Formats: sequence, structure tokens, C-alpha cells
Amino acid sequence: MTKSLRILVVEDEMTIALLIEDMLTEMGHEVVALAMRLQPALVHAQTADIDFAILDINLDGKQSFPVADILTSRGVPFTFASGYGSTGLGEAYTHHHVVRKPFQAQDLEHAIELAA
Amino acid sequence: MDGERAVEAGADAPVFPVGGGELGDLIRAFDWSNTSLGPIEAWPQSLKTATDIVLQSPLPLVMLWGSDGIMIYNDPYSVFAGQRHPGLLGSKVLEGWPEVADFNAEVMRVGLAGGTLSFKDQELTLYRSNVPEQVWMDLNYGPVMDEGGKPAGVLAIVVETTGVIEAERRRAAAEAKVRQSEERFRALINATSDVVYRMSPDWTEMRQLDGRGFLADTETPSVAWLDEYLFAEDQAEILGAVNEAIEKKDVFQLEHRLRRVDGSIGWTLSRAIPLAAEDGEIAEWFGAASDITARRQAEEHLRLVINELNHRVKNNLAMIQAIGAQTFRNTEDIAKAQASFTARLQALAKANDLLTDEHWVDASLQEAIRSALQPHRPDNRARCVVEGPSVRLSAKTAISLSMAFHELATNAVKYGAWSNDIGAVSVTWRVDETDDARRLMLEWRESGGPTVQPPKRRGFGSRLVERGLAAELDGEVHMSFDPAGLACRVDALLREPNDG
Repeated sequence: MTKSLRILVVEDEMTIALLIEDMLTEMGHEVVALAMRLQPALVHAQTADIDFAILDINLDGKQSFPVADILTSRGVPFTFASGYGSTGLGEAYTHHHVVRKPFQAQDLEHAIELAA
Repeated sequence: MDGERAVEAGADAPVFPVGGGELGDLIRAFDWSNTSLGPIEAWPQSLKTATDIVLQSPLPLVMLWGSDGIMIYNDPYSVFAGQRHPGLLGSKVLEGWPEVADFNAEVMRVGLAGGTLSFKDQELTLYRSNVPEQVWMDLNYGPVMDEGGKPAGVLAIVVETTGVIEAERRRAAAEAKVRQSEERFRALINATSDVVYRMSPDWTEMRQLDGRGFLADTETPSVAWLDEYLFAEDQAEILGAVNEAIEKKDVFQLEHRLRRVDGSIGWTLSRAIPLAAEDGEIAEWFGAASDITARRQAEEHLRLVINELNHRVKNNLAMIQAIGAQTFRNTEDIAKAQASFTARLQALAKANDLLTDEHWVDASLQEAIRSALQPHRPDNRARCVVEGPSVRLSAKTAISLSMAFHELATNAVKYGAWSNDIGAVSVTWRVDETDDARRLMLEWRESGGPTVQPPKRRGFGSRLVERGLAAELDGEVHMSFDPAGLACRVDALLREPNDG
């Protein structure tokens, strides 16, 4: 990984969010925004200057697909991260890449390489 | 002398009685001299004429002649008499029918006195073939006069109506059965809470539906039932099942959604059977639909809970992974890191307990803080003050807050106000309400501990509090390393639990 990416992390579990942040920082990327709920995630997805995003599917009972829609329309690549696996994906994203929790740094790295 | 004359008469005239079928033969052959009537050649004309009338009648007739009622009858009566025939011919009526001797004695008394008797559907028990038989008869009696104009016998028209009566009784019993069945059916319809409906053979028309407060009623046949009761997106599946039942002329059964009387979505278990007409084709469908909305909702709730549980288990594993990674990174003292890891897992477990008690819906801020501080706080109550108005938190926020307060408390025990014998921690908050928002202003303030020095390196604990909690609450979290005591201020927008 030579290129440093600006990344949005959307993850509703505080400790996991910090773990992802650490993993990404160690890979040389920069977490420019961290959102744990749908509302701030929507704002960041629209306004943040980002190259990539990692989206938890379930945000305290709400699904993050509207965030995915914005990213798609902006052309920002992203991967889902979920404890549900691909069964939690809506129809529109059935074939989108998902990192299953719990995951390792290399799973995340692989997902970034695939998408970005 | 009389006998000779009869023989003479027989030479040029037919023998009495003429014709009369089997009974005519029997009467001619019978030795009447042993009866009170005497030899047949000597019978008075009145008796002969009456005998001819009896023999020539197509109705079952019997004549009881003389005071002892000697019986003379015709072929139709012999059918009625069964095995008593031919023994009855020439016998006394009271002996011929001993089982109804009283009845016949009355008949003889009235008839010989010149009176008539008529009985419609008279019920009698006869032993025509040695077993008791319940029979019904129309009986008509009238006197027969002798040459002197006095009643000498009784003529009886005996028409058995048993067949008619029995048919009538069978019909009445069948009717009663149908009526009873209908009453039971009506009682069932009234007793059941099920919706009851009737459909045309091809289901295009609903003939009737009794909605029982669950569905709207259909009182007159309607072809609009499909759109009235079923949501457009469900119609194809339901009609598929209906058409299969029509094709197989077999029971229709399906659990499906429908529009309730109040317009909301309900669930039903609907079952209909085809009623066949005489030609074997379906005349209509009769169905019952029970309201299983509550059951379906419970199933749906259970499914959500299982999904949620599954999600939480995975999430908790990921959290443990995260806590482990953070606790053990850059550590030099493995034993210390292990103790700290265990304490963090305990804090996480306690936070989960808090939610289990509250059914994973939401939790109170007060409880989340108290439970996080409880393992660390000194016994002296004055050294730990937790005060603020009631605030509800979502399950997730409660866990994050618990974890953050666990970090603040461990820090206080190691380096801060709870590391000596006198220091105190106060956690206070208030809720500022403006027109369109509620803000939580919370402060963690330590006092009386050792002089605070800003840390050389920010550890996991302070990152969790400052960055993690801030993102969790979508607000500002600021730690200040005031020499008199650590302070941590939270300023966050309050949302209703599960409001995004």
C-alpha cells in the first residue's frame, strides 16, 4: 500500500470504531471522519473529502444503505462491515463487498484493494 | 228339504258366491255349518248380498256377522291379515284378533246397535306374523241390516296407512335432524370468533363475509372483495392457492396478510371447503378465517430478537477483539495489561447486564454511570456523587457510556481522586431544553486527589472518552487536566433512543 487514502469510518460500536481507526492509521491511511449514527454519517458522506468509506450496516437499529446510496452517487468506493454477513444486505447491495466482524487488519486491507 | 232345494237351484243357477277371487273359492269350500251362520245354502239374502258386496270390492273389506261377529272378508283384506289369513275366515272376531278384542267388542256393540264408527290413522299393535307390529289404519264401520231391517252385522273398511304414517314420521325426523343440524351450525358460527365467508364457485364473487370486528363485513355479493380485503402485492400468491384448490376441488388453506377493518395490516389463517351441488360441480366455497395477527407479530418479534442477538454476539466478539488489541498494544507490563483487559471485559459484561435487565430497549443514564463506577468507587458515599435528571439512552449509547466511565473510573483509581483516602468524584448533568432540541451537559470532576499532570502519551482510555464518546454522542467531549483535578465535559444533542 503506497497511496494514503482519506477514509470515512461509519461504525456504531465505539471500541470497534477506534480499532478500525488504529488499523487504518497503521496502514498509512487517514480517518478524516468517524460517525456512529445515521444522521452524522449522512452529513459526512455528503460533505467530507474522502477516497474511501467503511460502513457498518446496522447503526443502532438503522440501516446505513442511504449512506451507501450517497457514496455511490458521488463515486466514492466503500465496503460494508457487518456482524450479519451478506445476509444483512438489502437488494441493491446483494453483491457488494462485506467485511465480516470480527475482522483482521488484512481483511480490511484486502477490501480496500478490491474497491479502491 | 232346504238342502234339496239348494241342490236343485244349483243345477240351473251358479253356486253362491259367484267369483270373488281366492276368498270366493274359500267361502264356497268352507263348512259354515259349524258356525252360527249355518250352512251357506241356508244363508238369508241379506247375508248373501252383503257377502257379494265384500267380495266384489277393491277396498279391503271385512264383515262381522251375527252377535259373535263371524268374519267374512275379501282378497284385499287377506293381504292386510298376513299370516292370520286364511285362519280368520269364519272365525269369531274377538278370537281371530285377540290382541284387539276390546276394540272389536266396542265396534260390535256400536254397529249392532245401528251406529257407525270412523277412525283416522288408528294405531294398533297386531300379531300378524307372530311378532308385535305397530300399525296404523283408517277404519270405518257401519251396520248391515237383515231382512227385518235390524242390524245383523258390521261392515268394516280397513285401509292400512302404516306406510304413509311411517314415511311421514321419517320425513319429520329427517326435518328435525336438519333443523337441529342447522341450529348447531348457527351456534358454531356464533360461538367461533372466526370470520366466516362464502365464495362463488370460481371465487370471482364473494357472496358474504361476517367480519367479526376483524374485517369489514360483506353483506351482499361483491366482486370487489379482492381489493377490499387483500393488498395488491399479496393477491397473486393468494389467487394462486385459490386456483389450485378450485382445480383440485379440494380444501383451500393459506396463511396470508389482509386489510383489517381499521385499514391496518393483519394476518389470517384462512380455510375454505368446496360445497358440491347435486351434479358434482362446486356450488360454492364455505370458509373460516382466524385472526393470527398476534401470533405472526410474536413470530416476527422473535425473528428480530434472534437476528439482533446474533448481531450482538458478533459485535461483542468484535468489541472484545478491539479492546484486546488496544489494551495489549505497546504494552511493556503484560500482567498489568491482562488485569486491565479483564477489568474492561467486566465493564462490558456489566453494561450488557444493564440492558438485559431493561430488555435491550433502552437504559437510564443514571444507571449506566452508577453501574460503571460501582466496582471502582470508594465505600464512602461522599467521595462519589452522581446527580442529574432522568435521561433515557439507547442500548448502544448506554454501553458506550459505561465503557467510557469505566475508563475514567480506572484512571481515577490509578492516578486521580480515588488514588488517595480523601479525593472525590462528582458526576453531574443537566438537560438544556430549547425550542427544537435537548442538550445534555455532563461534567465529570475530580477533586482532592494528587496534583494532576497532563499525560505524556494519550492512552486508549482517554481516546475512548474523547474521540469515541464524542462520536457516539455526536457531540463534544473535552478532557482538561486541571492541576486541582481532572475534568471531563460532555456537550451533546439528546435524541430519543432509536431516533438516529
